[in-house]
Amino acid sequence: MPSISPRATVRTVGEILLTLGVIVLLFVAYELWWTGRVTRHDQSALVHTLERQWAHGENPAAVAAHPQLGTAIAILRIPRLGRNYRFAIVQGTSTADLIKGPGHYPGTALPGQVGNFAVAGHRTTYLHPFFDINELKSGDAIVIETGTTWFTYRVENVPGTSARYQEIVSPTDLSVAYPVPDQPNPSAVPRLAVLTLTSCNPRYSAAQRIVIHAVLVARQPVSAGRPPALAGSAVT
Amino acid sequence: MYGWVWRRLPGSRPVKLVASLVLLVAVLALLFLVVFPWLGPRLPFDHNTVGGAIRPLRVASPVDPHARELRFGTFRRVSS
Repeated sequence: MPSISPRATVRTVGEILLTLGVIVLLFVAYELWWTGRVTRHDQSALVHTLERQWAHGENPAAVAAHPQLGTAIAILRIPRLGRNYRFAIVQGTSTADLIKGPGHYPGTALPGQVGNFAVAGHRTTYLHPFFDINELKSGDAIVIETGTTWFTYRVENVPGTSARYQEIVSPTDLSVAYPVPDQPNPSAVPRLAVLTLTSCNPRYSAAQRIVIHAVLVARQPVSAGRPPALAGSAVT
Repeated sequence: MYGWVWRRLPGSRPVKLVASLVLLVAVLALLFLVVFPWLGPRLPFDHNTVGGAIRPLRVASPVDPHARELRFGTFRRVSS
């Protein structure tokens, strides 16, 4: 083996550093773009499966208190975030579940039920379903479709509690997902059907959580057609 | 490093070129399909749940009477 010249050493170190830099840039591309491709693929399969289940009279959001983890239970539409805004909500909030789409916290209420239907979603990666949830204003509609029913929630401060419609909380603040949100007692008996969305805050950070609360204001059977809140939304 | 790889690839110049492209694609596939998916959730960029980082949580709920206990995590304890 010939001895290694200082020049070759410097060149090799330089090449390694440049390579590491390129890998970091590739990782950014992976997070912001590639993960979205993964989720888009999962979402179309989930929506397809859910619609087929509904056509067969099955309703994962109604029959079982514990839908199978990772399966779709309902479809989320938020007109404020775009007329085409539509995501299948999956059961569970593990890493694997949230890759597929917004995830329902197991053990919290199901759509339309009294209690707190709590849903977590990605803010900046995996198709970032909750990228713009800071744009939601009091009075905005959040519409949940199940096999049998359209549920219309309205973003607002939760009556009878200290929960504001938008909150920035610590990642450990589980109380936003309690049946009565922001109530110190997790066993308090709820009277309202509440919807809670959680995501990371600020964007590209995991330092805090942004939380949106909404209250059920209307429900109608799917046979009655789409709810008025979706008047401007795409029919998909 | 790259010169070392190039010298070790067999064959004529066009063959080396094809071989290096195959190597490049293999490295990219390893990164995008194995390394990055493993690394992503371990970095503090996009964690979205409350209560216990990225694991599912269980809270008391009228639909789930058996889930009265908050099972894990770093959330604050309720003393009542």
